[in-house]
Formats: sequence, C-alpha cells, structure tokens
Amino acid sequence: MEHTSAFSLPNSGHNRDAEASKMGMWLFLFTELLLFGGLFIVYMVYRSLNPESFLLASFELDVAMGTFNTVVLLVSSMTIAMSITAIQTGNAKKSIFLLYTTLGLAIVFLIVKYFEWSAKIHHGLFPGFEVYDNLPPGESLFFFLYFFMTGLHALHIIIGGIIISVVIYRTKKGLVNKEKYTLTENAGLYWHLVDLIWIYLFPLFYLIH
Amino acid sequence: MSHTKDNLPKEEQVHITSYKDHFSTLIALLLLTVITVVISVFGANLRSLSVFTALLIATVKVIVVAYYFMHLKYDKKIYTWLVLIVAILFVSFAVLTSIEYLNR
Amino acid sequence: MTSTALNLNYLQAKKGIFSWIFSVDHKRIGLLYLYSLITFFLVGATLGVLMRLELLNPGKDLFEAQTYNQIFTMHGVIMIFLFIIPSIPAVFGNFFLPIMLGTDDVSFPRLNLLSWWIYIIGAIMALSTLLFGDGPADTGWTFYAPYSVKTGTNVTMSVLAAFVLGFSSILTGLNFIVTIHRLKTPGMTFLKMPLFAWALYATSWIQLLATPIIGITLLMIVAERVFGVGLFDPSIGGDPILYQHLFWIYSHPAVYIMALPAFGIISELLPTFSNRTIFGYKAIAFSSLAIAFVGYFVWGHHMFTSGMSGPARIIYSIMTFLVAIPTAIKVFNWVATLYKGSIDVQPPLLYALGFIFQFMIGGLSGLVLGALATDIHLHDTYFVVGHFHYVMFGGTGFAFFGALHYWYPKIWGRMYNKLVANIAFFILFIGFNMLYFPMMIAGLMGMPRRYYDYLPEFHLPNMISTFGSWVLAIGLLLMLGNLIAGFRRKREKIARNPWGTGITLEWQTLSPPPVANFDRMPVLPKDGPYDYDHKPEIKE
Ligand code: HEM
Ligand SMILES: [Cu+2]
Repeated sequence: MEHTSAFSLPNSGHNRDAEASKMGMWLFLFTELLLFGGLFIVYMVYRSLNPESFLLASFELDVAMGTFNTVVLLVSSMTIAMSITAIQTGNAKKSIFLLYTTLGLAIVFLIVKYFEWSAKIHHGLFPGFEVYDNLPPGESLFFFLYFFMTGLHALHIIIGGIIISVVIYRTKKGLVNKEKYTLTENAGLYWHLVDLIWIYLFPLFYLIH
Repeated sequence: MSHTKDNLPKEEQVHITSYKDHFSTLIALLLLTVITVVISVFGANLRSLSVFTALLIATVKVIVVAYYFMHLKYDKKIYTWLVLIVAILFVSFAVLTSIEYLNR
Repeated sequence: MTSTALNLNYLQAKKGIFSWIFSVDHKRIGLLYLYSLITFFLVGATLGVLMRLELLNPGKDLFEAQTYNQIFTMHGVIMIFLFIIPSIPAVFGNFFLPIMLGTDDVSFPRLNLLSWWIYIIGAIMALSTLLFGDGPADTGWTFYAPYSVKTGTNVTMSVLAAFVLGFSSILTGLNFIVTIHRLKTPGMTFLKMPLFAWALYATSWIQLLATPIIGITLLMIVAERVFGVGLFDPSIGGDPILYQHLFWIYSHPAVYIMALPAFGIISELLPTFSNRTIFGYKAIAFSSLAIAFVGYFVWGHHMFTSGMSGPARIIYSIMTFLVAIPTAIKVFNWVATLYKGSIDVQPPLLYALGFIFQFMIGGLSGLVLGALATDIHLHDTYFVVGHFHYVMFGGTGFAFFGALHYWYPKIWGRMYNKLVANIAFFILFIGFNMLYFPMMIAGLMGMPRRYYDYLPEFHLPNMISTFGSWVLAIGLLLMLGNLIAGFRRKREKIARNPWGTGITLEWQTLSPPPVANFDRMPVLPKDGPYDYDHKPEIKE
C-alpha cells in the first residue's frame, strides 16, 4: 500500500527497523539475565549458609558430563555466530547447514542432561523420594537448586531450539536473506545468552572442590 | 503504509565477522574452560581461592562471548553501556544482600 | 493507507468488538487498558469499602476472620497488580507516548497487543481463585513465606497470576524504551522530549529490570508448594528472610513504577494550566532517572523488624533518605512552576494540586517509616496503611484521574461538565483524607494492620475512616458518572488544543486523533518542549 495522501510521518512504528529489533532483543535478554540472577542470589546465600553440604552434594554431579556439555554449548555458540556470517555474505545454504548443526548440538546437550537427571532421580535425589527427604540440611537445597536452575536452563535450550527451527524455515523460504537477517541475529543473541548462563552454572554446580 | 523502508542510515556499515575470527574465539573459550576444570579438579587444596578464580574465569568467558559472538565490539557503544549497567545492578543486588548475611 | 482512512479518526476507522480486542493501534490498546483497569479498580474499591464496613465497629460484624484476610489480599492484589502498576503507562503511556514523540505507533505494535492479552489472562487467573480451588489467598499481597507455602488457600494461582502480569509489564516497558530510542520525530532529542516521556522512560527501565526478580521468586513459591521442598525453610538450611529480600528487590522499585509516571503527568499538567514553561526541566528529567536508580537499593526498609542485621538496616535507612532528595527536587520545581504563572483553575489542575498535597503527606510519612527508630514502633500498623494509600491512591490515583480529565477531550473529542467535575473532585478530596488520615492516627496509637477486629480504644478514628470511605465512594461515582455522561452530551466540535495552552505535540493534531496520529507534520517549539515563548501556532 502506498500513501495517497501527501503527508506521512518520517518515523513510523510500522517501518522495518533492524536496530529496533536488535535493541528489543537485548532488552529482553536483560530480563532473562535478571531472572536467573534472582536464582544466583539464592544460590549465593544458601551456599554461604551451608558451605559443607554444598561441597558434599556437588560430588554427586558428574564433572565429565558437565565439561562435555560446556564444550557442546560453546561450539554451538560458534556455529550459530558463523551462520550469521554466512547469511550476511549471501550464503543461505551454509547458513542453514550451520543452524542445523546448532540445533543438533542443542539436542546433544539435552540428551546428556537427560542422562544426568535420570541418574540423579535413579538415586532418589529428587523431591518426593525417600533418599532426598532424608538428606542432611543444605544438601537437599543444593539438589533442589540444581534441578530448578538447570531445568530452567534446559527450558531455555528448548525454546532456543524452537527459535532456531523457525529461522531455518524462514531462511529456506527466502524470508531471511542477505538483506534481511535480523531474525538470525536475534536468534543468535538468544542462543548466546543460554550459553552465558551455562558458563556460570557449570563451575557453580560441578566444580565445587 | 510503506513496509519496506529501512530506518538504518546508509552510513551505518555492517561489520561481518569472518569464520576464522569466530573459530579463534571458540579456541579461546575452550582454553579457558580447560583452565577452570584443571584448577578446580587438581587445585583442591586452594579451595577458597577456587570459587573466586572459577567465577573470575567464567566472567572472562562471558565477556569474550558478549564481545565477539554477541557482536558488542562492533555495535553501537550504547549496548556495551547498557550491559554494564545491568551487570552493576545485579552485582549491587548480590552485594547488598550478602552484606546483610555477613553481619548476622 | 488510503486518504479516506486518514480523514476518519481512530474511533471511527473500524467497528465491532474484534476491531478493538485485536487492534494493534496504540490508541485503541490504551483504551482497552483503560476500560479493563477501571473495571478492576471498581472491584477493588468495593472490597475496600466492605473492609471499612467491617471495621466500622470493633468486633465481628460482616466477615469471619479468614474471609476478611482473603478480602484484603484480593484487594491488595487487584489494586497493585491489576490497577496501579499498569495504570498510567499502560493507558496514557500507550495512548500518548507515540503522539508526544511525533510518531504513529510504538516500535512493536503487535507485542503491544500481546501485552494487553497477557494482562487479561493474568487478571482472569487472579480472579479465578474466587471460583476455583480452595478459595482466594489469605496471605496479603506480599505472599510472605513460610505462611504462603503452608496455607491451604489457592496461593499457587494468585502467585502465577502475579507472574503472568509481570510479563505484561515487562513487555510494555521494553516497547516504550525502544520506541523512545528509535521513533522520536526528527529534531526531538532526549533533552527535547516531554517530561511525561522521560518519566515513562525511567519507569520502563524499572519494569524491565526489576520485574524478573519477583517473577523468579514467585516461581520458587510455586515450586515449594508443588514439590513440597522448603526452599525457604530454615530446618533444611533455607531462610525465610531471603524471600523478603527477593520480594522487595522488586517491590520497592515497583513503588516507583507507580509514582514516576504520576510525576510525569503532573509535569505536563502544571505548564499547561499555569501557561508557562516548566521550572527546572533538566532537574525533573534527570531526577526521574536518579530515583529509578537509587530506588533499587533501598528495599531493606521494608524489613527493619524482620531480624535483619544491624549494619544492613543502617545502610538501607540512609539510602532511603537519599531517594527523598530527588523526589523533593521535583516538588520544589512544580511549586516554582506555579509561582508567577497565570493559573487557570480547571479540573485537571485541581487533581494535580490534590496530588502534590497528598503525595507530600505520603512521602513525608514514608520518611517516618524509613527512620529505624520510628519504624520499629510503626511497622505493620495502620500508619503504614495510611502511608501507602496516600502515596498510591492520593498520589498516583489522583494523577491518573487528573490525566483522565486532562486528555478526555483529546481521546474522545467530547467534553465533560466541568462544574460537576470540580464538585466531584472536592468530594473525593475530602473523602480521601477523611478515610486515610485517621488511619495514620490509629497507627500511631498502635493499631496493627490486617485484622478484622480491633481494641475499643481505636474506635473513633476507625469510625471517621469508614464515614470517609462513603464520602470517597460518592465522589468516585460522581466523577465517573460525569465522565460517562460526557459521552452523551451534545457533540460540539472539540478544538485541537481545547485547553488553549497545551504545548506538547498531542495538542497539534485533531481531537480525536486520526488513525495515523497526525494529519500534518507536528512542529516542535524552538527551545525545548515547554518553550512557551515560541509556542507553535496551531491552526484548526
Ligand atoms: C475505595 C478505596 C479504598 C479503600 C476503602 C481501601 C481500604 C483499605 C483497607 C481498610 C486496607 C487495610 C486492610 C487491613 O490491613 O486490614 C487496605 C489495604 C490495602 N490497600 Fe486499600 N483501599 C482503597 C483503595 C486502594 C487503592 C486505590 C490502592 C492502590 C492503588 C490500595 C492498595 C491497598 C494495598 C496494597 C493494601 C494492603 C493489602 C495487604 O495488607 O496485603 N487500596 N485498603
Ligand atoms: Cu520501599
């Protein structure tokens, strides 16, 4: 639709504005950071109140698996960053391939997480099990925070996966292209956030020694 | 209403990060990960130090991710400022809360 | 956009309920918020009047203790999360921010509609506890652990509702920040932005950065109730005081979500009705940011009696006194604006003056509570109830009504009966002070809050207070009735600038505005938004 009237405002909320989308995404990331931030404060206080139990409980976690997942997420952060480079240089095929790789890594992360969680639950370390209910004070807090924080994080991985799938779809349709790639950039920003949070979760839960 | 107009002024050149640069960033991040794991697994006797170093290294990693992967280095400076403000805000929340607990 | 659409105003452009509830026009969304907010406000006010009825005489009259507890909780939840937090930004911010900036919408119009829908879903969730589950929560709007985890009432749903409503608030804030950064009309810099926009900018940052903390805290309450793990239970190493910390990290800044937009409204009303530039533009603009920032670090003043550590209490008390400074700066500037202005006493100005008077009482009583020694005596007494009603209702509520009277002709292209509006204001004003001032006195005498009963020695202030609630209710009904009657009055054409002295951009467009907000390019005054010496001439 074109303007039939002589007058139109120069700045319109209905124009496409890549900078606005990016800024919106950053602001959204801030809220995500503070959402986890609240949990990190809880972690900090409870760890300072129960240092010994947190130490003992953390021995239950598998450092190898945690390290593996850290590497997976870091690599996936790179692949999604590269997919932006690809779309910016007009190489949609490569961009799609890199997005698929990221998605694959996300799934690997979730599978490893699944094994970790089921091992804990198998040992009865989940609210409602007898072992859990009889844990010494502090340790049950540690595990609850572990499930809460990694669970929320896993939820973000799933959401990130959905977003990446949308980007793949739209890139295939040509809706994301060399001129318009804000969506890929924003998906990238979101994915990096998921990575950022894991970067803190990993040492705080797995590496208390 | 025209939907095609882009508000980005022409002079705002986009910076495209090369594949190679992304790869170097990854190597740096992996190195930092190795350092944290090694310190915490083998430096068990430095316990109180290791919480601090682990968080320090994590923060360095986060800065690397934000600066290169998230493109802060090439974006308008306002984004860096905003990230800093949010970081300061969160740290103040944490510090103010812990002041209370340390003095109980 | 066709030229015929340009000639129609936004109210006429499309018809039917769906053209409203799925509209992405910021003006219509603003009105959607207005109608929903007023509805919830009336529900909340009815609950308030009912509480006052119970408290007319000592002893049990109308309700069981438990019912009374549920009523004040519902009253608090509705008034806080459904009315006062969204109030000015969601209604007048949505409607007027884009127009004041000289643009045609917010940056993300669809997100804007989404936030209204999320708000409605949250509202339905909050009210659903009346019908489903084991009855509405009885914890007070603060949901303090451990009681909120132990009580049998439907706390889970109320808490989830607050979580969802927070999401809506975040999205509105996000939208406004980007809009302000990206869509100011050419020539309008940050320092040439109307003060209402400044106030919304500061508010939006609080909405964005504080709300997530309460979101996650409320989820912890839910998790604790669902999994039965005492996250805040001291017997397994937890700490209930931590809940209070997290709750107030949000909820103190939240009082600035309520207050700052009201400051913005007052800073618009005073120049218009004193027909002169605002005194201390920069001071007012930056003090909003200063309040927003320092306001993040004072949350502990709600916890002085919780068993918090001594040094922390002193820090929080000092910080609290610090926030009073930028707030006082604003009051001085407003008074200085009125000084030597040619004052035109119109209904909106009366509300602005009512705001200043009542907000001063609210703010000064806040300092009494921010001081350690006096707070020990007054914590959780009716002094607090009086204090926060003076701030939220006497302050923000009155600013909201003032804004409604101020922009009424612009929004609907009609005018209300000014004489009745003035009378309604005075009834409201008297009723309000009769209702809440005695509460402060009862509090000083030692009457605790959140009880359905009280000792006989508190009878007199409670009686006056309840009478006041009736006067207030009459004032409210008269005010709203007069506004509604305004719709039916014979339609005279409303000028672009009906007050004659409005200077911000919304007064340069038609009343009501066209769909695209402007029918011609808005002209900025030469030196800043309140430059009455170079006020652009407005041709009809
Ligand atoms: C018709 C007007 C109103 C009346 C008669 C009224 C009355 C009351 C009374 C008597 C209480 C104290 C309950 C108790 O502690 O036992 C109360 C609490 C409260 N009111 Fe109002 N109020 C009114 C309007 C408002 C408004 C406009 C707001 C907010 C903008 C508000 C916010 C609150 C809050 C947050 C509480 C605390 C609830 C709690 O303790 O959890 N009220 N109100
Ligand atoms: Cu406060």
